[in-house]
Amino acid sequence: MTSGMHLTPLTDARPGMTLSDVLLDDKGNVLLAQGVVLTETMLASLARHGIGALPILQAADTAPPIDPAAVQARLDHLFRGNNREDHADWATGILRRYVEDYRLQREVQP
Amino acid sequence: MSALTLDQVVDSVQDLPSLPAVVMELLGSIEQDDIDISVLAKKVSYDQALTAKTLRLANSSSFGLQVKVTTIQQAITYLGFQTTRNLITAAAVTGCFSSGRCPGFDDKAFWRHSIAVAACARALARRMRFNQDYAFTAGLLHDIGRLVLVTAAPQAYAEVVEWRLRHDGGWQDAECAVLGVDHVEAGVALAGHWNFSDTMRQAIAFHHAPDTPGAGFLAAIVHVANAIVHALDIAGEENERVPRVASVAWDAMGLNEEAYLHLFRETEVQFVEMSAVLMA
Repeated sequence: MTSGMHLTPLTDARPGMTLSDVLLDDKGNVLLAQGVVLTETMLASLARHGIGALPILQAADTAPPIDPAAVQARLDHLFRGNNREDHADWATGILRRYVEDYRLQREVQP
Repeated sequence: MSALTLDQVVDSVQDLPSLPAVVMELLGSIEQDDIDISVLAKKVSYDQALTAKTLRLANSSSFGLQVKVTTIQQAITYLGFQTTRNLITAAAVTGCFSSGRCPGFDDKAFWRHSIAVAACARALARRMRFNQDYAFTAGLLHDIGRLVLVTAAPQAYAEVVEWRLRHDGGWQDAECAVLGVDHVEAGVALAGHWNFSDTMRQAIAFHHAPDTPGAGFLAAIVHVANAIVHALDIAGEENERVPRVASVAWDAMGLNEEAYLHLFRETEVQFVEMSAVLMA
């Protein structure tokens, strides 16, 4: 499927973007698999491999800006069965925190 | 109250549309590696609609093929037998239940959820070095019992939908309260009728209770994938609700936050592609 694909110059690629296709070097070796979410380290390594452009999934760089309050309200609604103070329900609590970080695009320490 | 007995459900399962014979054969043989591939490829190709849907799915970028496959035999060559078998199953199952018979039951949302859980379970399995093909199929079929109930008793299931809205509970509670039978029992009954393997049956039976002794790892994968997909709000249901995550299952995944964030993204991206093919 090529409709969502978009060749982006390496200089414009940013961490968090998703590869829409497998990325090969000039010898045909796989550098990165399709679906990989780019990180700072990967981008640096691609520069060293002499990669000029990447197939980037378009949705990733045209994502509309989010409204944090609305996003948080929806997440609270989705997780209404979970009480943050209930430590016995820690697994749901962790999932909740991760999805919040994901949706609110918070910086996460690797 | 319109209680349904498990016997009635099982009877209604006999009346359900059956899958194409070749798909039944594929499902029954999921843990067998010695079946004759060329014969199966040929049988599938007699069903043109099924073949077309399978090939469109195989050519979606979720499967990372460098060439376009144009026959089932080619798909098997490039993707392997297991993966192709999965795609055929997915293509067949998503077209087999008639829709719109139960007021209030959103079957589009049902399939959006099931396809997303299939994609998520497959991605989780890859990280766990667990068989991705089992995970995909189990994810796709984990809630199939709901369709059995809807088909068996469309009017009564409309009451289930209403009960759940009123009580803001889970589907299992609503089904038990109104019908006396839940989608897990109905799913297990269908699994018997459709010849699912034991692994698949276990995953359907325990996806809400992965901490049951003997539930198996696949049930834990589907359990976590199910919660993630509810949390990612993919089905598009207004009253979506994330179920409680069993700590045993979460622990069994052993992934860190970074891995989960990648998994969320991968699930969303693959869902968009797969649903475009499977729900067309």
